[in-house]
Amino acid sequence: MVIEVRNLCKNYGSVRAVDGISFDVEDGEIIGMVGPNGAGKTTTIECIEGLRKLDSGTIRVLDLEPYKEREKLYQLIGVQLQETSYQDRIKAWEICHLFSSFYKNSLPYEELLKKFELYDKKNSYVSKLSGGQKQRLSIILALISNPRIIFLDELTTGLDPQARHSMWELIKGLRDEGRTVFLTTHYMEEAEYLCGRVAIMDHGKIVALDTPRNLIESSGIEERIIFEGDVSDVEGLKSIKGILNVQKNQSEVTVYGKGVDLLQNVVTYIQAKGIDYRNLQTKTPNLEDVFLKLTGHKYEEDKV
Amino acid sequence: MKALFELTKVEFKLTLRNFVVAFFSFAFPVLLLLMFGGMYGNKPDPFFGGHGAVDVLLPSYVGMIIAVTGLMNLPLTIAEYRERKILKRFMATPIKPYYVITSQVMVNFVTTLIGLLLLAIVGKLVFTLHYLTTGPSFILAFLLSIFSIFSFGLLIASIAPNANAATAIANIVYFPMLFLSGATIPFEVMPKIMVKISKIVPLTYVVDLLKNTWLGSDTSYLLDILVLVSILIVSLFISASTFKWEYE
Repeated sequence: MVIEVRNLCKNYGSVRAVDGISFDVEDGEIIGMVGPNGAGKTTTIECIEGLRKLDSGTIRVLDLEPYKEREKLYQLIGVQLQETSYQDRIKAWEICHLFSSFYKNSLPYEELLKKFELYDKKNSYVSKLSGGQKQRLSIILALISNPRIIFLDELTTGLDPQARHSMWELIKGLRDEGRTVFLTTHYMEEAEYLCGRVAIMDHGKIVALDTPRNLIESSGIEERIIFEGDVSDVEGLKSIKGILNVQKNQSEVTVYGKGVDLLQNVVTYIQAKGIDYRNLQTKTPNLEDVFLKLTGHKYEEDKV
Repeated sequence: MKALFELTKVEFKLTLRNFVVAFFSFAFPVLLLLMFGGMYGNKPDPFFGGHGAVDVLLPSYVGMIIAVTGLMNLPLTIAEYRERKILKRFMATPIKPYYVITSQVMVNFVTTLIGLLLLAIVGKLVFTLHYLTTGPSFILAFLLSIFSIFSFGLLIASIAPNANAATAIANIVYFPMLFLSGATIPFEVMPKIMVKISKIVPLTYVVDLLKNTWLGSDTSYLLDILVLVSILIVSLFISASTFKWEYE
Protein backbone atom coordinates (compact mmCIF):
# COMPACT_ATOMS: atom_id res chain seq x y z
CA MET A 1 0.00 0.00 0.00
CA VAL A 2 1.46 3.36 -0.99
CA ILE A 3 -1.42 5.69 -0.16
CA GLU A 4 -3.87 5.39 2.70
CA VAL A 5 -6.78 7.81 3.00
CA ARG A 6 -9.15 7.67 5.97
CA ASN A 7 -12.27 9.80 6.43
CA LEU A 8 -10.86 12.71 4.47
CA CYS A 9 -12.97 15.87 4.78
CA LYS A 10 -12.28 19.22 3.24
CA ASN A 11 -14.54 22.28 3.30
CA TYR A 12 -14.34 25.55 1.45
CA GLY A 13 -16.27 27.92 3.64
CA SER A 14 -19.61 26.24 4.14
CA VAL A 15 -19.22 24.02 1.10
CA ARG A 16 -18.13 20.46 1.83
CA ALA A 17 -15.87 19.64 -1.12
CA VAL A 18 -14.77 16.21 0.10
CA ASP A 19 -17.07 14.39 2.46
CA GLY A 20 -15.38 11.67 4.48
CA ILE A 21 -13.76 9.45 1.88
CA SER A 22 -11.49 6.47 2.59
CA PHE A 23 -9.48 4.30 0.23
CA ASP A 24 -6.07 2.72 -0.34
CA VAL A 25 -3.78 2.77 -3.34
CA GLU A 26 -1.64 -0.29 -4.05
CA ASP A 27 1.92 -0.14 -5.29
CA GLY A 28 2.20 -0.23 -9.06
CA GLU A 29 -1.44 0.29 -10.02
CA ILE A 30 -3.09 2.95 -12.14
CA ILE A 31 -5.97 4.27 -10.10
CA GLY A 32 -8.32 6.91 -11.42
CA MET A 33 -10.93 9.19 -9.95
CA VAL A 34 -13.77 10.07 -12.27
CA GLY A 35 -16.72 12.31 -11.77
CA PRO A 36 -18.19 15.59 -12.93
CA ASN A 37 -16.73 19.00 -12.17
CA GLY A 38 -17.14 19.89 -8.53
CA ALA A 39 -17.24 16.24 -7.47
CA GLY A 40 -14.14 16.81 -5.33
CA LYS A 41 -11.51 15.04 -7.45
CA THR A 42 -8.98 17.87 -7.55
CA THR A 43 -9.43 18.68 -3.87
CA THR A 44 -8.81 15.02 -3.03
CA ILE A 45 -5.70 14.70 -5.18
CA GLU A 46 -4.32 18.01 -3.86
CA CYS A 47 -4.84 16.90 -0.25
CA ILE A 48 -2.95 13.69 -1.01
CA GLU A 49 -0.19 15.70 -2.70
CA GLY A 50 0.19 17.80 0.44
CA LEU A 51 -0.92 21.02 -1.23
CA ARG A 52 -4.01 21.43 0.91
CA LYS A 53 -4.59 21.12 4.60
CA LEU A 54 -7.24 18.61 5.62
CA ASP A 55 -10.14 19.61 7.81
CA SER A 56 -10.34 16.11 9.27
CA GLY A 57 -9.23 12.58 8.53
CA THR A 58 -5.77 11.17 7.86
CA ILE A 59 -3.63 10.63 4.80
CA ARG A 60 -0.41 8.63 4.60
CA VAL A 61 1.62 8.63 1.42
CA LEU A 62 4.69 6.36 1.42
CA ASP A 63 4.47 6.49 5.22
CA LEU A 64 4.63 10.28 5.25
CA GLU A 65 2.06 12.83 6.28
CA PRO A 66 1.79 14.89 3.09
CA TYR A 67 1.02 18.40 4.35
CA LYS A 68 3.54 18.27 7.20
CA GLU A 69 6.37 16.41 5.49
CA ARG A 70 6.16 18.07 2.09
CA GLU A 71 9.88 18.41 1.46
CA LYS A 72 10.49 14.69 2.00
CA LEU A 73 7.37 13.72 0.09
CA TYR A 74 8.20 15.74 -3.03
CA GLN A 75 11.49 13.87 -3.34
CA LEU A 76 9.44 10.69 -3.77
CA ILE A 77 6.41 11.72 -5.82
CA GLY A 78 5.81 13.60 -9.05
CA VAL A 79 2.96 16.01 -9.59
CA GLN A 80 1.15 17.43 -12.58
CA LEU A 81 -1.35 20.10 -11.61
CA GLN A 82 -4.55 20.96 -13.38
CA GLU A 83 -4.22 24.22 -15.39
CA THR A 84 -0.60 24.98 -14.64
CA SER A 85 1.25 27.25 -16.91
CA TYR A 86 4.93 28.08 -16.88
CA GLN A 87 6.84 31.32 -16.96
CA ASP A 88 6.66 33.37 -20.14
CA ARG A 89 9.85 33.24 -22.16
CA ILE A 90 11.24 30.15 -20.45
CA LYS A 91 12.60 27.47 -22.76
CA ALA A 92 11.77 23.79 -22.43
CA TRP A 93 15.30 22.77 -21.45
CA GLU A 94 15.58 25.65 -18.99
CA ILE A 95 12.58 24.59 -16.96
CA CYS A 96 13.76 20.97 -17.03
CA HIS A 97 17.20 22.07 -15.87
CA LEU A 98 15.64 24.16 -13.10
CA PHE A 99 13.48 21.30 -11.85
CA SER A 100 16.48 18.93 -11.92
CA SER A 101 18.19 21.16 -9.37
CA PHE A 102 15.30 20.64 -6.94
CA TYR A 103 15.76 16.88 -6.45
CA LYS A 104 18.39 14.69 -4.85
CA ASN A 105 18.10 11.86 -7.39
CA SER A 106 16.89 13.62 -10.49
CA LEU A 107 16.63 11.69 -13.74
CA PRO A 108 18.63 13.10 -16.68
CA TYR A 109 16.11 15.38 -18.37
CA GLU A 110 17.70 15.07 -21.81
CA GLU A 111 16.72 11.39 -21.79
CA LEU A 112 13.20 12.28 -20.73
CA LEU A 113 12.92 14.90 -23.48
CA LYS A 114 13.97 12.25 -26.00
CA LYS A 115 11.61 9.63 -24.59
CA PHE A 116 8.64 12.00 -24.71
CA GLU A 117 9.55 13.28 -28.17
CA LEU A 118 10.31 16.82 -27.11
CA TYR A 119 14.06 16.78 -27.64
CA ASP A 120 13.89 18.78 -30.85
CA LYS A 121 11.72 21.31 -29.00
CA LYS A 122 14.13 21.77 -26.12
CA ASN A 123 15.12 25.26 -27.25
CA SER A 124 11.53 26.35 -27.85
CA TYR A 125 9.71 28.65 -25.50
CA VAL A 126 7.27 26.64 -23.43
CA SER A 127 4.52 29.10 -24.33
CA LYS A 128 4.97 28.16 -28.01
CA LEU A 129 4.41 24.42 -27.47
CA SER A 130 1.15 22.77 -28.52
CA GLY A 131 -1.33 21.52 -25.92
CA GLY A 132 -0.11 17.94 -26.19
CA GLN A 133 3.55 19.02 -26.07
CA LYS A 134 2.90 21.12 -22.96
CA GLN A 135 1.25 18.16 -21.23
CA ARG A 136 4.17 15.91 -22.17
CA LEU A 137 6.46 18.52 -20.65
CA SER A 138 4.30 18.45 -17.51
CA ILE A 139 4.85 14.69 -17.30
CA ILE A 140 8.60 15.16 -17.76
CA LEU A 141 8.67 17.70 -14.93
CA ALA A 142 6.70 15.29 -12.75
CA LEU A 143 9.14 12.48 -13.63
CA ILE A 144 12.39 14.34 -13.02
CA SER A 145 12.24 13.36 -9.33
CA ASN A 146 12.17 9.68 -10.43
CA PRO A 147 8.95 9.32 -8.43
CA ARG A 148 7.42 6.16 -7.01
CA ILE A 149 3.97 7.72 -7.38
CA ILE A 150 2.97 10.13 -10.13
CA PHE A 151 -0.16 12.28 -9.80
CA LEU A 152 -1.91 13.45 -12.95
CA ASP A 153 -4.83 15.84 -12.55
CA GLU A 154 -6.94 15.99 -15.71
CA LEU A 155 -3.88 15.54 -17.87
CA THR A 156 -5.80 15.00 -21.09
CA THR A 157 -8.50 17.65 -20.72
CA GLY A 158 -8.57 19.86 -23.77
CA LEU A 159 -6.40 17.60 -25.91
CA ASP A 160 -7.58 16.37 -29.28
CA PRO A 161 -8.42 12.64 -29.46
CA GLN A 162 -5.17 11.69 -31.13
CA ALA A 163 -3.04 13.47 -28.55
CA ARG A 164 -5.18 11.96 -25.82
CA HIS A 165 -4.69 8.43 -27.10
CA SER A 166 -0.94 8.83 -27.35
CA MET A 167 -0.98 10.20 -23.80
CA TRP A 168 -2.73 7.01 -22.68
CA GLU A 169 0.11 4.88 -24.00
CA LEU A 170 2.63 7.08 -22.18
CA ILE A 171 0.71 6.65 -18.91
CA LYS A 172 0.63 2.86 -19.36
CA GLY A 173 4.38 3.07 -19.92
CA LEU A 174 4.79 4.77 -16.54
CA ARG A 175 3.04 1.88 -14.85
CA ASP A 176 5.17 -0.62 -16.78
CA GLU A 177 8.22 1.10 -15.28
CA GLY A 178 6.85 0.14 -11.89
CA ARG A 179 5.46 3.51 -10.89
CA THR A 180 2.09 3.98 -9.25
CA VAL A 181 -0.15 6.35 -11.20
CA PHE A 182 -2.94 8.29 -9.50
CA LEU A 183 -5.02 10.25 -11.97
CA THR A 184 -8.23 12.19 -12.19
CA THR A 185 -10.22 12.53 -15.35
CA HIS A 186 -13.68 13.48 -16.42
CA TYR A 187 -13.52 11.15 -19.41
CA MET A 188 -15.19 7.88 -18.40
CA GLU A 189 -13.77 6.21 -21.47
CA GLU A 190 -10.26 7.18 -20.37
CA ALA A 191 -10.75 5.77 -16.89
CA GLU A 192 -12.16 2.56 -18.31
CA TYR A 193 -9.26 2.10 -20.71
CA LEU A 194 -6.39 3.14 -18.45
CA CYS A 195 -7.19 2.37 -14.87
CA GLY A 196 -6.80 -0.86 -13.00
CA ARG A 197 -9.25 0.53 -10.48
CA VAL A 198 -11.65 3.44 -10.74
CA ALA A 199 -13.17 5.52 -7.97
CA ILE A 200 -16.40 7.16 -9.03
CA MET A 201 -16.88 10.44 -7.19
CA ASP A 202 -20.00 12.52 -6.88
CA HIS A 203 -20.74 15.36 -4.47
CA GLY A 204 -17.60 14.80 -2.42
CA LYS A 205 -18.14 11.09 -1.89
CA ILE A 206 -16.76 7.96 -3.49
CA VAL A 207 -19.87 6.16 -4.70
CA ALA A 208 -17.97 3.11 -5.97
CA LEU A 209 -14.39 1.90 -6.21
CA ASP A 210 -13.39 -1.20 -8.15
CA THR A 211 -12.00 -2.44 -11.44
CA PRO A 212 -13.97 -1.08 -14.40
CA ARG A 213 -15.13 -4.61 -15.18
CA ASN A 214 -16.41 -5.27 -11.67
CA LEU A 215 -18.09 -1.89 -11.53
CA ILE A 216 -20.00 -2.68 -14.69
CA GLU A 217 -20.84 -6.27 -13.71
CA SER A 218 -21.91 -5.46 -10.17
CA SER A 219 -24.04 -2.58 -11.36
CA GLY A 220 -26.46 -5.14 -12.75
CA ILE A 221 -27.00 -3.12 -15.90
CA GLU A 222 -28.20 -5.32 -18.77
CA GLU A 223 -26.54 -5.70 -22.09
CA ARG A 224 -28.62 -4.63 -25.04
CA ILE A 225 -28.89 -6.32 -28.39
CA ILE A 226 -30.61 -4.27 -31.04
CA PHE A 227 -31.59 -5.40 -34.51
CA GLU A 228 -34.15 -4.83 -37.21
CA GLY A 229 -36.30 -7.78 -38.11
CA ASP A 230 -39.85 -9.03 -38.24
CA VAL A 231 -40.27 -10.69 -34.86
CA SER A 232 -43.88 -11.60 -34.27
CA ASP A 233 -43.44 -13.86 -31.24
CA VAL A 234 -42.01 -11.49 -28.63
CA GLU A 235 -42.94 -13.87 -25.80
CA GLY A 236 -40.95 -16.66 -27.44
CA LEU A 237 -37.91 -14.42 -27.58
CA LYS A 238 -38.38 -13.48 -23.95
CA SER A 239 -38.30 -17.09 -22.88
CA ILE A 240 -34.68 -17.53 -23.94
CA LYS A 241 -32.22 -17.98 -21.08
CA GLY A 242 -30.64 -14.72 -19.92
CA ILE A 243 -33.17 -12.42 -21.53
CA LEU A 244 -34.91 -10.10 -19.13
CA ASN A 245 -36.96 -7.94 -21.40
CA VAL A 246 -37.73 -7.30 -25.05
CA GLN A 247 -39.00 -4.08 -26.56
CA LYS A 248 -40.37 -3.78 -30.03
CA ASN A 249 -40.62 -0.50 -31.86
CA GLN A 250 -41.98 -1.19 -35.36
CA SER A 251 -39.26 -3.32 -36.92
CA GLU A 252 -36.59 -2.43 -34.37
CA VAL A 253 -36.20 -4.93 -31.57
CA THR A 254 -34.23 -4.28 -28.39
CA VAL A 255 -33.33 -7.24 -26.23
CA TYR A 256 -32.20 -6.65 -22.64
CA GLY A 257 -30.33 -9.40 -20.91
CA LYS A 258 -27.26 -10.78 -19.17
CA GLY A 259 -24.80 -13.60 -19.47
CA VAL A 260 -21.92 -14.52 -21.75
CA ASP A 261 -24.06 -16.57 -24.13
CA LEU A 262 -26.68 -13.88 -24.61
CA LEU A 263 -25.72 -12.82 -28.13
CA GLN A 264 -25.27 -16.38 -29.31
CA ASN A 265 -28.61 -17.45 -27.87
CA VAL A 266 -30.46 -14.59 -29.53
CA VAL A 267 -28.84 -15.15 -32.92
CA THR A 268 -29.48 -18.91 -32.73
CA TYR A 269 -33.13 -18.23 -31.91
CA ILE A 270 -33.86 -15.82 -34.74
CA GLN A 271 -31.98 -17.93 -37.24
CA ALA A 272 -33.91 -21.04 -36.17
CA LYS A 273 -37.14 -19.09 -36.66
CA GLY A 274 -35.99 -18.03 -40.11
CA ILE A 275 -36.27 -14.34 -39.29
CA ASP A 276 -34.35 -11.93 -41.50
CA TYR A 277 -32.40 -9.53 -39.38
CA ARG A 278 -30.34 -6.49 -40.23
CA ASN A 279 -28.14 -3.97 -38.38
CA LEU A 280 -27.57 -6.17 -35.40
CA GLN A 281 -25.54 -4.43 -32.72
CA THR A 282 -24.75 -5.04 -29.10
CA LYS A 283 -24.47 -2.30 -26.49
CA THR A 284 -22.33 -3.29 -23.55
CA PRO A 285 -22.80 -1.13 -20.48
CA ASN A 286 -19.93 1.25 -19.76
CA LEU A 287 -18.87 3.37 -16.81
CA GLU A 288 -21.18 6.15 -17.91
CA ASP A 289 -24.14 3.81 -17.48
CA VAL A 290 -22.76 2.79 -14.09
CA PHE A 291 -22.49 6.44 -13.07
CA LEU A 292 -26.09 7.07 -14.08
CA LYS A 293 -27.25 4.03 -12.16
CA LEU A 294 -25.27 4.85 -9.01
CA THR A 295 -25.95 8.58 -8.78
CA GLY A 296 -29.32 8.81 -10.44
CA HIS A 297 -28.18 11.61 -12.69
CA LYS A 298 -26.74 11.51 -16.16
CA TYR A 299 -23.03 11.96 -16.68
CA GLU A 300 -22.47 14.88 -19.01
CA GLU A 301 -18.84 15.29 -19.84
CA ASP A 302 -19.52 18.00 -22.39
CA LYS A 303 -20.59 20.29 -19.62
CA VAL A 304 -17.28 19.97 -17.85
CA MET B 1 20.89 26.38 -2.02
CA LYS B 2 21.60 24.97 -5.45
CA ALA B 3 17.88 25.20 -6.20
CA LEU B 4 17.77 28.86 -5.12
CA PHE B 5 20.80 29.63 -7.27
CA GLU B 6 19.34 27.90 -10.34
CA LEU B 7 15.97 29.56 -9.79
CA THR B 8 17.54 33.00 -9.50
CA LYS B 9 19.70 32.35 -12.56
CA VAL B 10 16.82 31.35 -14.80
CA GLU B 11 14.54 34.10 -13.47
CA PHE B 12 17.26 36.64 -14.24
CA LYS B 13 17.44 35.33 -17.80
CA LEU B 14 13.67 35.74 -18.07
CA THR B 15 13.93 39.33 -16.83
CA LEU B 16 16.53 40.11 -19.48
CA ARG B 17 14.15 38.67 -22.07
CA ASN B 18 11.39 40.98 -20.83
CA PHE B 19 11.83 43.97 -23.12
CA VAL B 20 9.84 46.43 -21.03
CA VAL B 21 11.77 45.74 -17.84
CA ALA B 22 15.16 45.64 -19.57
CA PHE B 23 14.41 48.88 -21.43
CA PHE B 24 13.20 50.86 -18.42
CA SER B 25 15.93 49.53 -16.12
CA PHE B 26 18.93 49.74 -18.43
CA ALA B 27 18.32 51.80 -21.57
CA PHE B 28 15.84 54.48 -20.58
CA PRO B 29 17.78 55.91 -17.60
CA VAL B 30 20.96 56.03 -19.69
CA LEU B 31 19.10 57.77 -22.52
CA LEU B 32 17.71 60.34 -20.08
CA LEU B 33 21.17 60.93 -18.64
CA LEU B 34 22.63 61.41 -22.12
CA MET B 35 19.82 63.78 -23.06
CA PHE B 36 19.83 66.00 -19.97
CA GLY B 37 23.60 65.71 -19.59
CA GLY B 38 23.90 66.86 -23.18
CA MET B 39 21.63 69.83 -22.45
CA TYR B 40 23.12 70.99 -19.16
CA GLY B 41 26.63 69.48 -19.19
CA ASN B 42 28.24 68.70 -15.85
CA LYS B 43 29.82 71.99 -14.86
CA PRO B 44 29.09 73.10 -11.29
CA ASP B 45 25.98 75.22 -11.48
CA PRO B 46 24.28 77.22 -8.72
CA PHE B 47 20.97 76.08 -10.22
CA PHE B 48 21.80 72.51 -9.14
CA GLY B 49 23.07 73.64 -5.75
CA GLY B 50 26.62 74.09 -6.96
CA HIS B 51 26.83 70.57 -8.47
CA GLY B 52 26.95 69.45 -12.07
CA ALA B 53 23.62 68.45 -13.63
CA VAL B 54 24.79 64.88 -14.30
CA ASP B 55 26.00 64.51 -10.71
CA VAL B 56 22.55 65.50 -9.46
CA LEU B 57 20.53 63.54 -12.04
CA LEU B 58 22.36 60.26 -11.74
CA PRO B 59 21.26 59.35 -8.19
CA SER B 60 17.72 60.47 -9.11
CA TYR B 61 17.69 58.04 -12.00
CA VAL B 62 18.84 55.29 -9.66
CA GLY B 63 15.67 56.07 -7.71
CA MET B 64 13.73 55.70 -10.95
CA ILE B 65 15.25 52.26 -11.59
CA ILE B 66 14.40 51.15 -8.05
CA ALA B 67 10.80 52.15 -8.76
CA VAL B 68 10.73 50.13 -12.01
CA THR B 69 12.18 46.99 -10.44
CA GLY B 70 10.61 47.29 -6.98
CA LEU B 71 7.17 48.73 -7.68
CA MET B 72 6.50 47.25 -11.10
CA ASN B 73 8.52 44.16 -11.97
CA LEU B 74 8.66 42.59 -8.51
CA PRO B 75 4.95 42.76 -7.57
CA LEU B 76 3.69 42.12 -11.10
CA THR B 77 5.83 39.03 -11.56
CA ILE B 78 4.74 37.58 -8.23
CA ALA B 79 1.07 38.38 -8.85
CA GLU B 80 1.29 36.84 -12.32
CA TYR B 81 3.02 33.70 -11.03
CA ARG B 82 0.32 33.33 -8.44
CA GLU B 83 -2.54 33.84 -10.88
CA ARG B 84 -1.07 31.44 -13.43
CA LYS B 85 -0.45 28.86 -10.69
CA ILE B 86 3.29 28.95 -11.26
CA LEU B 87 3.74 29.54 -7.51
CA LYS B 88 1.53 26.54 -6.84
CA ARG B 89 3.65 24.40 -9.14
CA PHE B 90 6.74 25.37 -7.17
CA MET B 91 4.86 24.55 -3.97
CA ALA B 92 4.61 20.98 -5.29
CA THR B 93 8.41 20.59 -5.36
CA PRO B 94 10.81 20.10 -2.45
CA ILE B 95 12.07 23.71 -2.56
CA LYS B 96 11.17 26.10 0.21
CA PRO B 97 8.30 28.27 -1.07
CA TYR B 98 9.99 31.48 0.00
CA TYR B 99 12.79 30.71 -2.48
CA VAL B 100 10.48 31.94 -5.21
CA ILE B 101 10.11 35.33 -3.51
CA THR B 102 13.79 35.45 -2.57
CA SER B 103 14.83 34.76 -6.16
CA GLN B 104 12.58 37.57 -7.42
CA VAL B 105 14.06 39.98 -4.88
CA MET B 106 17.58 38.99 -5.91
CA VAL B 107 16.82 39.26 -9.61
CA ASN B 108 15.42 42.76 -9.20
CA PHE B 109 18.30 43.71 -6.93
CA VAL B 110 20.84 42.66 -9.55
CA THR B 111 18.83 44.39 -12.29
CA THR B 112 18.87 47.62 -10.28
CA LEU B 113 22.57 47.28 -9.60
CA ILE B 114 23.33 46.82 -13.29
CA GLY B 115 21.19 49.87 -14.08
CA LEU B 116 23.24 51.86 -11.56
CA LEU B 117 26.54 50.63 -12.99
CA LEU B 118 25.47 51.47 -16.55
CA LEU B 119 24.56 54.99 -15.46
CA ALA B 120 27.88 55.37 -13.66
CA ILE B 121 29.89 54.07 -16.61
CA VAL B 122 28.10 56.27 -19.14
CA GLY B 123 28.30 59.25 -16.74
CA LYS B 124 32.00 58.75 -16.31
CA LEU B 125 32.80 58.14 -19.96
CA VAL B 126 30.60 60.80 -21.52
CA PHE B 127 30.52 63.43 -18.79
CA THR B 128 33.05 64.04 -16.05
CA LEU B 129 30.96 62.41 -13.36
CA HIS B 130 32.02 63.14 -9.78
CA TYR B 131 30.87 60.08 -7.98
CA LEU B 132 31.19 58.12 -4.80
CA THR B 133 32.27 61.15 -2.82
CA THR B 134 30.93 59.30 0.21
CA GLY B 135 31.08 55.72 -1.05
CA PRO B 136 30.00 53.66 1.99
CA SER B 137 27.10 55.91 2.93
CA PHE B 138 25.80 55.80 -0.65
CA ILE B 139 25.97 52.01 -0.64
CA LEU B 140 24.03 51.88 2.62
CA ALA B 141 21.50 54.37 1.26
CA PHE B 142 21.16 52.28 -1.92
CA LEU B 143 20.53 49.11 0.10
CA LEU B 144 18.01 50.75 2.42
CA SER B 145 16.19 52.29 -0.56
CA ILE B 146 16.01 48.95 -2.33
CA PHE B 147 14.76 47.02 0.67
CA SER B 148 12.23 49.69 1.53
CA ILE B 149 10.77 50.06 -1.98
CA PHE B 150 10.93 46.30 -2.65
CA SER B 151 8.97 45.57 0.51
CA PHE B 152 6.42 48.13 -0.66
CA GLY B 153 6.29 46.14 -3.92
CA LEU B 154 5.75 42.92 -1.95
CA LEU B 155 2.92 44.68 -0.15
CA ILE B 156 1.28 45.39 -3.52
CA ALA B 157 1.71 41.73 -4.50
CA SER B 158 0.22 40.63 -1.17
CA ILE B 159 -2.88 42.79 -1.00
CA ALA B 160 -3.88 42.65 -4.68
CA PRO B 161 -6.80 40.23 -5.12
CA ASN B 162 -5.63 39.24 -8.62
CA ALA B 163 -3.02 40.03 -11.28
CA ASN B 164 -5.09 42.77 -12.91
CA ALA B 165 -5.58 44.50 -9.60
CA ALA B 166 -1.84 44.25 -8.94
CA THR B 167 -1.16 45.94 -12.28
CA ALA B 168 -3.66 48.68 -11.49
CA ILE B 169 -2.27 49.31 -8.00
CA ALA B 170 1.33 49.24 -9.25
CA ASN B 171 0.55 51.80 -11.94
CA ILE B 172 -1.35 54.07 -9.55
CA VAL B 173 1.61 53.97 -7.18
CA TYR B 174 4.39 54.03 -9.75
CA PHE B 175 3.54 56.91 -12.07
CA PRO B 176 2.83 59.65 -9.51
CA MET B 177 5.93 58.55 -7.62
CA LEU B 178 8.01 58.73 -10.74
CA PHE B 179 7.05 62.32 -11.53
CA LEU B 180 6.63 63.69 -8.01
CA SER B 181 9.64 62.16 -6.31
CA GLY B 182 12.33 63.99 -8.25
CA ALA B 183 13.32 60.71 -9.90
CA THR B 184 12.62 62.03 -13.39
CA ILE B 185 11.92 65.74 -12.92
CA PRO B 186 14.58 67.27 -10.65
CA PHE B 187 13.29 69.20 -7.62
CA GLU B 188 15.38 72.07 -8.85
CA VAL B 189 13.02 72.67 -11.78
CA MET B 190 9.80 71.82 -9.90
CA PRO B 191 7.36 74.53 -8.83
CA LYS B 192 7.29 75.04 -5.03
CA ILE B 193 3.83 73.53 -4.71
CA MET B 194 4.96 70.28 -6.38
CA VAL B 195 7.94 70.06 -4.08
CA LYS B 196 5.50 70.24 -1.18
CA ILE B 197 3.24 67.54 -2.63
CA SER B 198 6.29 65.38 -3.23
CA LYS B 199 6.73 65.03 0.53
CA ILE B 200 3.89 62.48 0.69
CA VAL B 201 5.52 60.19 -1.90
CA PRO B 202 7.82 57.49 -0.44
CA LEU B 203 10.13 57.53 -3.44
CA THR B 204 10.95 61.19 -2.67
CA TYR B 205 12.87 60.02 0.37
CA VAL B 206 14.74 57.48 -1.72
CA VAL B 207 15.77 60.12 -4.24
CA ASP B 208 16.68 62.59 -1.48
CA LEU B 209 18.77 60.06 0.41
CA LEU B 210 20.53 58.74 -2.69
CA LYS B 211 21.26 62.26 -3.90
CA ASN B 212 22.59 63.53 -0.59
CA THR B 213 24.78 60.49 0.03
CA TRP B 214 26.00 60.54 -3.56
CA LEU B 215 26.86 64.24 -3.44
CA GLY B 216 28.17 64.05 0.12
CA SER B 217 25.86 66.82 1.31
CA ASP B 218 26.11 67.93 4.90
CA THR B 219 22.37 67.71 5.48
CA SER B 220 20.85 65.31 7.98
CA TYR B 221 19.72 61.97 6.54
CA LEU B 222 17.65 61.16 9.58
CA LEU B 223 14.19 61.95 8.18
CA ASP B 224 14.83 59.95 4.98
CA ILE B 225 16.11 57.00 6.96
CA LEU B 226 13.19 57.10 9.37
CA VAL B 227 10.61 57.21 6.58
CA LEU B 228 12.25 54.41 4.62
CA VAL B 229 12.71 52.17 7.65
CA SER B 230 9.07 52.73 8.61
CA ILE B 231 7.89 51.80 5.11
CA LEU B 232 10.07 48.71 5.25
CA ILE B 233 8.71 47.52 8.59
CA VAL B 234 5.05 48.29 7.94
CA SER B 235 5.11 46.76 4.42
CA LEU B 236 6.84 43.59 5.53
CA PHE B 237 4.47 43.21 8.46
CA ILE B 238 1.34 43.55 6.30
CA SER B 239 2.80 41.38 3.52
CA ALA B 240 3.71 38.61 5.93
CA SER B 241 0.18 38.49 7.33
CA THR B 242 -1.71 38.78 4.02
CA PHE B 243 0.46 36.97 1.46
CA LYS B 244 -1.23 34.02 -0.29
CA TRP B 245 0.45 31.42 -2.49
CA GLU B 246 -2.71 30.81 -4.44
CA TYR B 247 -5.87 32.78 -5.21
CA GLU B 248 -8.88 30.94 -3.85
